[in-house]
Amino acid sequence: MKVSFPYMGSAIVYKKLFEFLEHEVIMPPKPTQRTMDLGVKYSPEFACIPLKMVMGTYLEAIEKGAKVLVTSGGHGPCRAGFYGDTHRNILKSLGYDDVELIIFDAPQDNWKAFFRNVQKIRNGVPWHKVINRMYTLYRFVQKLDELEKMVQKIRPYEVNKGQTTQVWNQIQEKFDKIKTRKELYRVYEECKQMLLSIPTRKVEEKDIIRVGIVGEIYVVMESSINFGIEEILGNLGVEVERSLYLFEWINDNLVPWILRPKRFKEIIKKGQRYIKILIGGHAVETVGHIIDFKERGFDGIVHLMPFACLPELVTQSLIPKISKEVDIPILSLPIDEQTGKANMLTRIEAFVDLLKNRKKGETKEVFIDNIQEHVQEERVVMV
Amino acid sequence: MKIAIPHSLLYYYYFPLWDTFFKELGFEVVDTGPTTKDILDKGSKAAVSDICAPIKIFTGHVIEGLNMADYVFVPRFARIKKPEYFCPKFMGLPDIIEGTVEESKGRVISPIINEKNNENISSPKIYEMLAEMFGFSHREIRLAMRKAEEVFKRFKNLMHKGLSCDKALDSYRGGRWEEDLKKVKKDGDITIAVLGYVYDVYDSFISMDVIKKLEALGVNIKTFEMIPQEVAYDNLKHYRKRLFWTFSNRVLGAGLHYLKDPEVDGIIHVTAFGCGPDAIVGRFLQYESDVAGKPFTTLRVDEHTGEGHMVTRIEAFVDMLRRKKWARVSEVL
Repeated sequence: MKVSFPYMGSAIVYKKLFEFLEHEVIMPPKPTQRTMDLGVKYSPEFACIPLKMVMGTYLEAIEKGAKVLVTSGGHGPCRAGFYGDTHRNILKSLGYDDVELIIFDAPQDNWKAFFRNVQKIRNGVPWHKVINRMYTLYRFVQKLDELEKMVQKIRPYEVNKGQTTQVWNQIQEKFDKIKTRKELYRVYEECKQMLLSIPTRKVEEKDIIRVGIVGEIYVVMESSINFGIEEILGNLGVEVERSLYLFEWINDNLVPWILRPKRFKEIIKKGQRYIKILIGGHAVETVGHIIDFKERGFDGIVHLMPFACLPELVTQSLIPKISKEVDIPILSLPIDEQTGKANMLTRIEAFVDLLKNRKKGETKEVFIDNIQEHVQEERVVMV
Repeated sequence: MKIAIPHSLLYYYYFPLWDTFFKELGFEVVDTGPTTKDILDKGSKAAVSDICAPIKIFTGHVIEGLNMADYVFVPRFARIKKPEYFCPKFMGLPDIIEGTVEESKGRVISPIINEKNNENISSPKIYEMLAEMFGFSHREIRLAMRKAEEVFKRFKNLMHKGLSCDKALDSYRGGRWEEDLKKVKKDGDITIAVLGYVYDVYDSFISMDVIKKLEALGVNIKTFEMIPQEVAYDNLKHYRKRLFWTFSNRVLGAGLHYLKDPEVDGIIHVTAFGCGPDAIVGRFLQYESDVAGKPFTTLRVDEHTGEGHMVTRIEAFVDMLRRKKWARVSEVL
C-alpha cells in the first residue's frame, strides 16, 4: 500500500512505523505556504488551523501518489476527533474516491473497529516481528526526543550561529536510515557526540533564561506552523522546553494505564487546580504544565493555540489569573492562517526582553545599561 | 436568598426546570432579562477576545446577575448523554467565569451536570452541593426536583407540538401552557428550517430575531426543538460515529430530518463566529444539503450589531426559495 500520514513534529518517526510494517511510504512534504493555501481553500472556514494544515498535507501527499492515509481520531469533546471524517468528506467531494482514509480512534471507544484497522495496517507482518519492531520504534522515539532536548539546551549558547540547527538536521537524516535496534544505539551515541562537540559559550546560572512552551499538540509540535518558535527563542539565547514530546505522548496515551508514568497524573492534578474536570484537548495539561514549569524554576511560558481552539480558549480565559497567582509571565499566541511572522517575532522579542529584565530584577538599571550599549554601538558605527 | 439565572446559553432550554426547582427550595429567582447592549459590552470587555459571542454574552449576564442577586447560577455542563459531551467551553464555564469576572468569587453556584443518560438533568444528585452550601436536606432537594421535572416535561411537550423555544418559554412564564398552541403559524407559502443552538437563535442580540424577521416575510418556521430527540438521532445512524456534542448532534439530526421533509423548502444554519462544533456541523449539513438538493445557507453572527447584512441575506434567500417553488408549481400546472 502507498501509505502517507499527517506531518507533525519529527515525521521520520511515522515514516519508520510504516517502513517497519513493510509498506511503501509516501513521505508527506514538510508543510509550506502552499500546503496552508491548499488546506485553507478546501476546509471549513472556522475549522482550526491543524485541520486545515493536515488537509493541505493530504492533498500534497495524494499528488505524490499516496493511496492510503493513516491518522488518529481522538476522543473527548475536542474537534480533532472529527478531523478524519471531515477530511474524508472533503476528499470525496473533490473526487478522490480511490483514496482510503484509515482513522484510529481510542481503542476503548470501539474495540472492533480498532482491531480491524490494526489488521489493515499490519500488512501481514507476523505478530512477533510487529512487536519486536514496535519496541525498536518506541526506543527510537525516546532517543530522538532526548537528542532534541539536548539541542534546545545547546542552541542558545552556540558560538557559531545556526550550527546546532544544522547538526540537528544531520541527526534526523542519520536516524532516517536506521534499521535495527543495535544500529539505533550506535547512531544515538554518535549523534550525542556531535552535539557535545558544538562550541558553546559558558553562561552562569543567574543569566540563564528558561521558557516552557505549552498548548495544543499540533501547533506546539509542528515547527512549520509555529514559525519555528523554538529556534527563534533559542537564537535569542533562551533555553526551551516543550510540554509535549512524542515519547511522552506515547507513554501518556498509548501505553496501558498501569505502566504509565506518574508524572502525567501529577500534571493533570496540578491542572485541576484551575480547570476542575477534563474538558478535552490539552487544556488541563496546559494549565498543569504551566504550574509545573514554574515549580521547576522556569522564567516564562509561551502558550500556543490554534485560533478558536475550543479547549484552549478556556485556558486562555484563565491565563491572566494563573499568571498573577503563580507569578510567571505568560505569552499567549493564537495561530491561524493569517498570522504574520514579523508581528510574532516582535512579540516574542519583547517577551524575552521582559523576562531578561525581570531576571535582573531592577528594570531601571537595565534600561540605562541598554542605552549605554546603544550609545557605544553608535560610536563604533560613526568611527 | 436571591439567585440570578443568566438569561443566556442553555437558559432557553432549561429555565422552567431551574426556575421551578429554586423557587420550590425557597429562593427568590431573578432572571437577568434579555440581552441588552450594556450586557453585551460588559461581557465583551471581560471575556477573552477570541471566544465566541454566546460566551461573551453569558459573561455579561453573570456580571449583571452579580449586581442583582446574592448568587449566580453557572452550571458546569459536562454531559447529559453517554458518550456525548458539551462543548469544552461549557465544560469549563465556571472556570472561565472565575478567570474573567473577579467579583464572582464565592458567589457562583455551579453544580456539575455529568449524567450518563438523563436528558432533562433532573437527577437530584447533581444539586446535592446545595445541601452543603445552604443546609437543605436531601429530601427537600429531591421533592423540589420532582416538581421541576414535571414542569419541564410539559414544557418540552409544547415544543414537540410545534412551539419554538421562546414561545414555549412565554407560555411557561404566563402559565398558559396549551392555549398558546393555537398561535402556531402555518399559513406561510414556504417553510424554512432554522437550525442552530437555542442561545444563538433566540438571543435577540445574537440572531437579531431572525425567526421574527422570517415570520414577518410570511415564512413558516421549523426548528430543532420541535423534533423529539429519538427522531433526530435516528437520522444519524449512517454516520461512522456520533459527534461529541449533544446539541450539535440534535441540530445535525434535525437537519437531516428536515432535508427529507417535503414541506421544508430550505435550511438556514445560524451559527456564532468562531463556534467550534459548528465548523464541523456546518460542513456536514452543507454536504448533505448538496446531496439532497435543498438550498442551504449559513448566517454567521457575532457581537457586532449591524442588522443590514442579516436582512439582505434573509430576504435574498427567501426570494430565491419562492422563485424556485413557483417555477416548480407553474411547471406542474
